Amino acid sequence: MPEYSCLVVEDSPMMRQLLVFALGRLKNLRVTEADDGVDGLRKLAAARYDIILTDINMPIMDGLKLVKRVRSDPNHKDTPIVIITTEGAGEDRQRALQLGANAYITKPIQAPQVIATVKELLRIE
Amino acid sequence: MSENSRKDSTPPPDLSKEREEMLRSFRRNAALTERFMDEYARMRSRLLEVEGENEGLRARLGSPEGEPRGHAGAPPSRAKLATEDVDARFAELEEEFAHLASLFVAGNQLHAALTTRSVVRRIRDVLGQLIGAQAYALYFLSSDGTELAPITSEGVPTERLQRMPIQSSRFGEVLKAHKACIEEEHAVNEVNWEAPPALIPLVAEERAVGLIAIYGLLAQKERFTRTDFELFRLLGEHTGPALIGASLFEQSGHRLPGAEVIYSAAL
Repeated sequence: MPEYSCLVVEDSPMMRQLLVFALGRLKNLRVTEADDGVDGLRKLAAARYDIILTDINMPIMDGLKLVKRVRSDPNHKDTPIVIITTEGAGEDRQRALQLGANAYITKPIQAPQVIATVKELLRIE
Repeated sequence: MSENSRKDSTPPPDLSKEREEMLRSFRRNAALTERFMDEYARMRSRLLEVEGENEGLRARLGSPEGEPRGHAGAPPSRAKLATEDVDARFAELEEEFAHLASLFVAGNQLHAALTTRSVVRRIRDVLGQLIGAQAYALYFLSSDGTELAPITSEGVPTERLQRMPIQSSRFGEVLKAHKACIEEEHAVNEVNWEAPPALIPLVAEERAVGLIAIYGLLAQKERFTRTDFELFRLLGEHTGPALIGASLFEQSGHRLPGAEVIYSAAL
């Protein structure tokens, strides 16, 4: 069974832990955590990831800037990106999708939704 | 003995009791976390069993020896009913997993910080991200115990964030009774300033120290769920000790207690 790697970029420790818990259900997925966009970019420069999950509202570098930077990097231009937004943040969601994000998940996050989105983008049965 | 060395080994007497209380709270939280982990492991194991049963049923449905496939108009086969039953149980387990994960993460995170700012942030995350509160405020009791003062809030207009006397107020009654007041019958996704749908007293060592008022949930969430009720209980029991512990740690200049202090406090 192939192994996949996932980068979770989220500044809230609580949300990060919930995401890691949910993703832990996928046995062949290795999850790495990043505190914000800058930390995320640092980790992307050091390793290859099959999928990125990122929050939108973060200090230092927000999710929109991260999506833009990832898409302009030849090494990650095709890496699937899932953004995590609040229900009311329609504009941010649209902007992120225009910048190249592949899918979105709304808060409060539900584990089945997270798993289904990741499995679909990674084409895991 | 110099002043510095005395500081390093012996806590001021007034802090000893608070430290003891803080440690007791940590131990309680550790036990709670352990319980959640056991429950989580049990559910995971059951989930694997159900997945195995489901696989078996699917294999039987697809194999030539399996029961004949139903056709239009025919009553559902036993295998189909069994598969539906497994799917329903799987959905139940998913819900249970999400429920336990939320409780575990909330409990774990509340006590994973030792600065007041971080603890407050985690409380906000529980209220906003896990419960889905649209408007809420966290109040703490004034040092003379006569008023509730707002500490943090979301979606509450400034003019409503006043210090509130304990005497003859609904908040005060909830605080004195040590009993949460929660709307269980009606929709709570519209803000109600006059009668907040959830008032949760914060208790530390059997003393009321503050209160969380939730004025309304996000539009997409009509009612409180089973998980929310458990989170209210967790917030009521753990918010006070977490805030007090963080505040004492900051007051002590972020000094960590040595083994001697922990040992003497644990006796």
